[in-house]
Amino acid sequence: MVLLEQVSRRLGPGVLFSCEKFHALPGSRTALWGPSGCGKSTMLNLITGLLRPDSGTIRIDNEDITPLSESRMDAFRGERMGFVFQTFNLLPPFSALQNVLLGMRFSDAIPEKEWKDQALTMLERVGLERRLQSKPGTLSVGERQRVAIARALVNKPRLIVADEPTGSLDPKTATSVMSLLLELCEEEKVTLLLVTHDRGIAEQLPDLFDCTGLAREDES
Amino acid sequence: MSLWSIAWRYLWNRKLTTALTILSVALGVGMISAVLTLREETQRRFEEEGQAFDIVVGSKGNPLQLVLSTVYFMDAPTGNMDYSIFESLKEHEDVTHAFPIAMGDSYKGYRIVGSSPELMDFAPGGRSPYTLAEGRYFEKSQEAVLGAQVARDSGLKIGDTFVGTHGLVQSAFAEVHDDFPYTVVGILNLSGSPNDRAIFCDIQSVWDVHSHCDADHDHDHEHGHDHDHPEVTAVLVKLASPALRFEFKDHINKRSNAMAAIPIMEIQKLYEQLLGTAKLVLLAIGYLVVAISSLSILIGLYMAILQRRRDLAIMRALGATRGEIFGAVIIEAFWVTLLGIIAGWFMGAVTCAVLNHFLVTRIGFHVPAIHMTADLVSAYSAVMLMGLIAGILPAWQAYRSDVARDLSEL
Repeated sequence: MVLLEQVSRRLGPGVLFSCEKFHALPGSRTALWGPSGCGKSTMLNLITGLLRPDSGTIRIDNEDITPLSESRMDAFRGERMGFVFQTFNLLPPFSALQNVLLGMRFSDAIPEKEWKDQALTMLERVGLERRLQSKPGTLSVGERQRVAIARALVNKPRLIVADEPTGSLDPKTATSVMSLLLELCEEEKVTLLLVTHDRGIAEQLPDLFDCTGLAREDES
Repeated sequence: MSLWSIAWRYLWNRKLTTALTILSVALGVGMISAVLTLREETQRRFEEEGQAFDIVVGSKGNPLQLVLSTVYFMDAPTGNMDYSIFESLKEHEDVTHAFPIAMGDSYKGYRIVGSSPELMDFAPGGRSPYTLAEGRYFEKSQEAVLGAQVARDSGLKIGDTFVGTHGLVQSAFAEVHDDFPYTVVGILNLSGSPNDRAIFCDIQSVWDVHSHCDADHDHDHEHGHDHDHPEVTAVLVKLASPALRFEFKDHINKRSNAMAAIPIMEIQKLYEQLLGTAKLVLLAIGYLVVAISSLSILIGLYMAILQRRRDLAIMRALGATRGEIFGAVIIEAFWVTLLGIIAGWFMGAVTCAVLNHFLVTRIGFHVPAIHMTADLVSAYSAVMLMGLIAGILPAWQAYRSDVARDLSEL
């Protein structure tokens, strides 16, 4: 469950992010839709604790994350959240397998002895069992995003946040990646928040939250 | 996957930059290693030689010059003194061994050192510095035993003859003692000591050569030879106990015309006054190179962190704490410095080997391969500390990065 109530955050001179209320049920799949600059990525950063609100409450899995210390927030994020980015954000020096292992390295969600088996299983599920040792630079863009999805899900998180996950993909690959992401979230019963400016993509998800106007000029 | 292996992979990912940074650290470490090792080893070897005899007695002059000329064969003697001084020293109750030394001639720049045959049997601490590689020791006048380096450089073999030239340095104008050829009867083992560069003979040989010489020329002024009353250049003395050194030295200096010097004391003074300063200068240069290397670690890591802001932000998003990010960067600095120290250690070893060759040829001292000493451990620790300090600024930069901004902007 994700809940934002009366959340505000000053983003710079004269720009204020403000969200009266947002609610996503456990296991739901919600598109945060809106044009560029509307505040949807800021909302994602607030939900993941990468930005802290100036006021209001953010609850994830019934836990209020706003008072958490930074280190506790880091641990919380590592254990309960998975990220999928528009530009994949794989770490270049590491192979596909190592990138997925890194997903577990910084959290205590999975015991260390199970890391490798878990990573191999996830890579198999995204169809990359033959590209385990490949570095990101040698993978196609679709394969890179599959590795990123495997990394996001390997910790068995409660929440997946995907920021424009198909933004760098051609339509055919985008469709395939979207199907995979939705299918895996469904199987794992993970809550999905997907940021997109593409109405077509947003409408593929059961729930849609219009982010238009969340970030606006401060009138006060 | 540990932070150590993560840091290592990032270094490996930029091999050229990493290699150049390691090289710059290695240069400084190599210089420090070589300076410290050479200084320690040369001092140790000098002191070993200096310990062989408790006292050197010679004519009045500079005590360091006396020690250098008679123990290390490196300087001009202070002059000659009457043989009776040797005889009285030999009879002294505190003296266990006394060997007369007479010098004045050389062969191809190597000193001809006249002494008593007993010198060849002298083995301080049970170790003889005069062991034979071949042949035998001299037994009578005009028989010579060559130091290993003399034999090697001159090509002289057992049974060969040679003649000495007047004076202790090689000169085209030096008088050649053609009428008094020496016969090689023995060659010493290479000892890594000044003995390698000396030719030993019976003291009578030196007296005989100069007795004849003085019939034609008046060298008395120059060397103080007086053959009615034979002279010696110095007397090497071993006392019943090293504790008697100072008392015995004062005794000689106050109650005779001769001068006594304690070799080990003179050598330590030389090190403190002259070589100590040289060592400090070389060490300062070494540490300066390391400081510059640390700066290159700092710049290299800082630039790498700027380029990797997104990667660090991703790690944060995956749950890495600021502390872990800080630690990963410091570990990179650690790896670079550690590899620099290891590479520098090898460079120092090579430098020592090259300098060892030079020192053997020049002053007959062998410097063993570089090995770990307390000074080196301290120096390497200091270098490691500098490397880690150099990593702090980039690590701090990584520590305080704004994850949300770095993920969205880059």
